[in-house]
Amino acid sequence: MTETAGPSTSLRSGRDDKYVTTQDTSENPPQPAPYTIEVVELSPSLRAELLDLEAWGEILATYGRTMGVAVALTDAQGRLLGETHNAQPVWKLMHDTAPNWAGVCPFCVTLGLPCTAVAEALDTGGVVMTRDQAGLTHVAVPLLLGKQPLGAIIAGQVFDRYPEPLPLRRVAKEFDVAPQQLWDVARKQRPVSGSSLRASGDLLRALGHAFLRQRYAAILETKLAETNGRFRLLVEEVRDYALFTMDPLGRVTSWNCGAERLLGYAEAEIVGQNFSCIFTPEDIENRVPEGQLHEAMQAGRAENEGWRVPANRKQFWADVNITALLGDAGTIRSFAIIMQDVSERRRIAALLEETRLERGRLQEEFLSHVSHELRTPLTAIYFFITNLFDGLLGDLTPEQHATLALAVDNVKQLKDMVSDLLDITRVETHKLTVEPQYASPVKLIAEVLSTCSTNATLKNIHLRSDIAPGLPFVWADPARVRQILINLIDNGIKFTGEGGTVTVANKTFPETHGFLCLSVSDTGCGISPENREIIFERLTQLKSGGETSRGGLGLGLFISKELVLQHGGRIWLESRLGRGSTFYFTLPVFALAKLCAAVFTAANLESGSVTLMAVDVVEVEGALQADLLTEMRKVLERCIRPGQDVLLPAMSDTEPVDSFFIVASAGDSGSSVIASRVSRELQNFDRTSKLKPAISSTTLHLLPGESGEEHFDEIAARIERLIQAHLLHKESLK
Amino acid sequence: MSEKKILIIDDDQPLLLGLTTRLKASGYSVVTAADAITALTVARKELPDLIILDLGLPGGDGFLVLERIRSLADLAVTPVIVLSARDPAGNRKRSLDAGAVAFFQKPPDNHEFLNAIRQALGETIALSAFLKT
Repeated sequence: MTETAGPSTSLRSGRDDKYVTTQDTSENPPQPAPYTIEVVELSPSLRAELLDLEAWGEILATYGRTMGVAVALTDAQGRLLGETHNAQPVWKLMHDTAPNWAGVCPFCVTLGLPCTAVAEALDTGGVVMTRDQAGLTHVAVPLLLGKQPLGAIIAGQVFDRYPEPLPLRRVAKEFDVAPQQLWDVARKQRPVSGSSLRASGDLLRALGHAFLRQRYAAILETKLAETNGRFRLLVEEVRDYALFTMDPLGRVTSWNCGAERLLGYAEAEIVGQNFSCIFTPEDIENRVPEGQLHEAMQAGRAENEGWRVPANRKQFWADVNITALLGDAGTIRSFAIIMQDVSERRRIAALLEETRLERGRLQEEFLSHVSHELRTPLTAIYFFITNLFDGLLGDLTPEQHATLALAVDNVKQLKDMVSDLLDITRVETHKLTVEPQYASPVKLIAEVLSTCSTNATLKNIHLRSDIAPGLPFVWADPARVRQILINLIDNGIKFTGEGGTVTVANKTFPETHGFLCLSVSDTGCGISPENREIIFERLTQLKSGGETSRGGLGLGLFISKELVLQHGGRIWLESRLGRGSTFYFTLPVFALAKLCAAVFTAANLESGSVTLMAVDVVEVEGALQADLLTEMRKVLERCIRPGQDVLLPAMSDTEPVDSFFIVASAGDSGSSVIASRVSRELQNFDRTSKLKPAISSTTLHLLPGESGEEHFDEIAARIERLIQAHLLHKESLK
Repeated sequence: MSEKKILIIDDDQPLLLGLTTRLKASGYSVVTAADAITALTVARKELPDLIILDLGLPGGDGFLVLERIRSLADLAVTPVIVLSARDPAGNRKRSLDAGAVAFFQKPPDNHEFLNAIRQALGETIALSAFLKT
């Protein structure tokens, strides 16, 4: 190979003469390999395996012997891997005198100056020839797999012409070797001309490349064979699972022994059949098999459970997993199916659930009975003691009064425990429900504080509230919120020593948007981190600061947690031992906009107005009866136009609720339609005319451009303010 | 104004005793009945202003008694407050639907209970009085 006929050769100027032979692949494509291999990212272990010296040893040694050069394998950083084959005499001499040439090219007889031949060869992909100070030459041949540099072969350490005495003497001095000795050794080496060394470099590159590809293919083949073997073994040995494959049309293409056992068909009879033959006739009619294939095709996989019919027609309940296998172009080439008979599991699960429900039902029945039986005598005791306590049966000494106060408190505790007993069963049978309504948290807190104040005063605990003005109304069950608050406050009182403080407050967290967060904090003994984990579990009771005070059934926090969850909120606590604890819980804020969502549509708001109608009912004779009001609500429900008007839930938390509100769209005409319907319907409903409904309407005019979705909250807020004003006005009349 | 008369229907004697004391102290006159049959007889004879009714009664369920009371012309509009040991879930609605004005689970809170009695007797409904004038 010559410079003109062979691959382009360039001469680099530098401290040494350096020639780079770069093979331009676009002009001069490499010899076609027996097969092309797509090279994936090479792992360190695969790299090591590819450059295994033992594998390379023979080819390198043969090459070195034939060409009369020293040959060595390096890694991608140019570090020599093992010994040099056919080491040249000069190289041996220099290495014996200076064995620690760390970071220096092992082929250069030059100290201190780095040789970049390997790096350059890997960088350019071509053969780089370099000559050192002594006149010794070597070539670096890159080993690349795809574009990934793997290492290099260095060949050379020969004079490319007859050695010159002057540079040799300089080098001998540098290495502290006798010049005569170096000269003697050098003379024994046969000079190899530069052009033939370059040519042998190109040959080495082709050899190295071919060998590397061959080695890579061999390694892959071994690995593939191992994996295949393992996989085949796995698939064939799996008896508990049916494993089979299908083509994109659902025709079976392979069938393992598990499939044969489970479905009763031999591989020979089922291959080629459509997999729908193992479905029930109903499923086939309902095109279930096609549906599953479609799902697997769309999502890449499909999981399902259902009846499957084996050859003997004794159907079983199967757990099925279909995976789509992709071909080169990303199209689905086939499906792999894993199927298991889970009939027994299903039967047991059903049985367990049935047993659990039955147990829950029995427990509820029993506890309901117990609770009922306990309540009757408890009521008599409650009346007796409160009668005594309130002085209905004669005056009391202060001592008697104090004793009875304790008795009252204990009866209340007993009453709460009886209620808790039933609640706990309801949690287990999923019957604990909340009936959310429009509720004022301020009012609820005030009620609860007055209920708990007796208990707090008894223990000389300061019970206070720290509520910001203007708390939003919540969408919650008032009785249940009271229960949660009382549980938390009683808990605080129980675990706080005399003179301490229990505070109910509201808190704002950025993540609680749309929720109102209330907190109950105490200055008590605090809760240790390990107890914080279990405190919301059922039947958890912590010792209160060493003293063993009776603490109820340990169900309060468990029930509170369930109630908060039922509201869609969450409950958590912060605590410091010896400093006190704070329990937080959230309740959804009442959102009128959400209720009005059906009405707030572009079409409905086009008229530019929304009307709030208030229907106030008073009964002429006697007090209002709850059932009449319930009926009234049903009547109003019939009067509104679906999709255009909304009958709001009870917007006041005072009983009985005798004001109903309707948000009507399409302005005044809309509300007058409803008004006439209401009067007509009421005449039919209340022929005795005991009810006197008063209908009033306020129309809210929207500003131009206010009908967009971003204004809904604002419109709702305006409506809510109108409702509050209406209720306040009515209250003032009373 | 003469004392308002309250009929308590409950089969638990200690409860009758305790509640009677409380109601008398609040200024009401009290009559009692301990089973369904007596209850209707007493109710017809005494024509109380308000009835406190237990649901589990010997001789007939409380709901039956409520139904009978509602069907009697003299008692059709007499307010009835149900006071029962039964679970409010379901029973509260059923009671209200059957014509009771309130439902309390035993034991009730004295304060709330007396408020409900006063309200049912029209003593706190200022609005209806206001509208009548």
